[in-house]
Order: sequence, then C-alpha cells, then structure tokens
Amino acid sequence: MNNIEEKLWNYIDGNCSEPEQKEIAGLIERDEAFRMKYEELLSLNAEFSAIELDEPPMAFTYNVMEEIRAEHAQQPLKAAFNTRIIVGITSFFAITIVVLLGYILLSINWSAGSAGAENIPVSFKLPDLSKYITAPVVEGCLFFYVVLALFLFDTYLRRKNIAKHAQ
Amino acid sequence: MQSKLSDIELIQQTLGGSQPAYADLVKRHQRFVFTLALRFTKSREDAEEVAQDCFIKAYRSLASFNAQAKFTTWLYSIVYTTSMTFLRKKRLDTDSIDDENTFIQVESRQSGYDVNNVENKSRSFYLNQAIGQLLPDDAAIITLFYKGEQSLEEIGNTLGMETNTVKVKLFRARQRLKERLERNLKGEVKELI
Repeated sequence: MNNIEEKLWNYIDGNCSEPEQKEIAGLIERDEAFRMKYEELLSLNAEFSAIELDEPPMAFTYNVMEEIRAEHAQQPLKAAFNTRIIVGITSFFAITIVVLLGYILLSINWSAGSAGAENIPVSFKLPDLSKYITAPVVEGCLFFYVVLALFLFDTYLRRKNIAKHAQ
Repeated sequence: MQSKLSDIELIQQTLGGSQPAYADLVKRHQRFVFTLALRFTKSREDAEEVAQDCFIKAYRSLASFNAQAKFTTWLYSIVYTTSMTFLRKKRLDTDSIDDENTFIQVESRQSGYDVNNVENKSRSFYLNQAIGQLLPDDAAIITLFYKGEQSLEEIGNTLGMETNTVKVKLFRARQRLKERLERNLKGEVKELI
C-alpha cells in the first residue's frame, strides 16, 4: 500500500518520469481501488494546501526594527568609522609630500656644487609656500599625524594581543 | 500597505542604508517565518523570539546574501538553524519526542471532545492542531512544501538535507499528518476531507 501511495504522491507532485506518469494515469483509469486512493490523496493534498499561516503579534515588525535601530545606536565609533576615509586622507598627504619632494629635487641645479666658484652663489627657486603653510595648517597636520600614529599603534597592539591569545 | 518592489530590490535598498525597505521585507515574510518558528518551538512566545532573532540575523548578514538564490530559501535556512539552536539551548531533545507520549497528549486533548462540535469547528483548526502534534521536522517540511512555495531541492538546501531525503521525509510527514487527523477526528475525518 505504501508503495502505491508513494507512487501516487509522486504523481500528484509531478515528481515522476514520463513513462511512470503514463503508467499511473492508466492505473487510475482502469483500477477502481487505485482511483479511490488517488482521489483520497488528491483531496488530502488540497486540504494540506489550505493550511493557514499563523499571525505574529501586531507589533512584530516594529519590535524587529526597534532592535535593529538600538543595535545601530550602540555601535562603537571605531566600528562606525569608515577605514576608506583614513586610507584616502593618508594617500592625499603621502601624494602631497611626494610631489613636493619631487618638485624640490627637480628644481635643484645639481651641477652648481661641482662647477667651481664662478657658479656660486647657487640659485634655485623654491615655490613660495609660506602663504599656504600657516600655523593652523601645521598644527592641523601634526594633530592628524599624531592621531594616525595612535590609531596604527592601537591596531598593532590589538593584532599582537589577538595573536597572543590564538597561540 | 506592503511594497510592490521585489525582494532583491528591497535588499539593495536596505544595503544602501534604507531601514524602511527592510521593514517592508519583514512585513512581507513575517507570517511565514513566525509559522515556521512555531512549528519548531510549539509555543507562540518562543516562536516570536526566534522569528525576531532570525530577522535581526538576516539584517546583519544581508551583505553576504547571494542574489542568485531565492531570498526565502536563505531566510528559511536562518529560521531552521536559529530554531535548532534555540531548542538546544532549552535542552529540548526534539528527536526524543516519543510517539507514545504524543499520543497520550492527543488523547487527553480529546477527552473534552464533543462530536457535535466537530461541524462547528473549521477544517483549518483540526489541521493546525494535527500539525502541532507532529515532530518539528515533519511539521516544518509540510509547511515549507505547501506554504513556502519551496521545491524539494530548495527545502533540502534550507534544512541541509539531500533532495531524496526530503522526498522520503515529506512522504512520511504526510502519512503521519493524515494519521493524526484521523485520530483527532476519529470517524469524522472522512466527512471532513
């Protein structure tokens, strides 16, 4: 009986091959007992399809979203800080330093030192940066480098600590 | 009113920082997630806790969702693992639910059974009662197959089983459900189904 039921369920679910499908369809047509079983399972299938889903409490969505909002609010500043910003600022300063150094090095008349006394005094023209490099800018840069150094030092210590615990 | 956007569109909006989009996603799937959790926990309070936990977990790992797969399959697998963890925490060994004990429970529920009331009660009442008496795995497979719009393969992915195992389990679950219905309704089942 189980075998028949299994075949019929597969037939109802559409999980059997084409020859099997034809065979079962023929059996349903010819065999009275088979047809009765098929009809019984078919009505059971319709019954199971009509299962009703349970309704969660009214405030369910609100509670979920409140939990998510609370989690966001508790997130530490370090985790909320986007590391791409740090990388971006670091890259900006690194590029600025490299460009300035390059410009200075290219502006130097390297032959001046070996050319003899007639070339003295050596004159090379530095760009006038005094109007840009003001005290607040220098202080700002220094502050940024100090913070960056502390951040990198903190990361180094944390990694060291993790490696120590992992051993 | 629920959003007309697809699950994937709502997920993209959520990943872009829109919390209302995720609220729409929760509204859309909360009934099924709650029902599935209820199949495992057998208690509304516990099911609410598990379902809520599932949506929070899904939110946290939404970025890891592979958009090639169905969102529901991914979400239901979270429901399954969360429910299992919850049951383990509660030290409920779901496999040890003895059929005999369940039957005693069924019979004791029937002690106040009035044949005349059968007609007054809806079909879904008896069906839901019978599902509630099934083992969690059986109840979950029946629910996923009939209400979750999941294929046998997708149910396999959700429950971490082979498709053939799911097929056999579904067959057995249907048989058990039919037996429970018959027991609960005694002779009335023939009229009811």
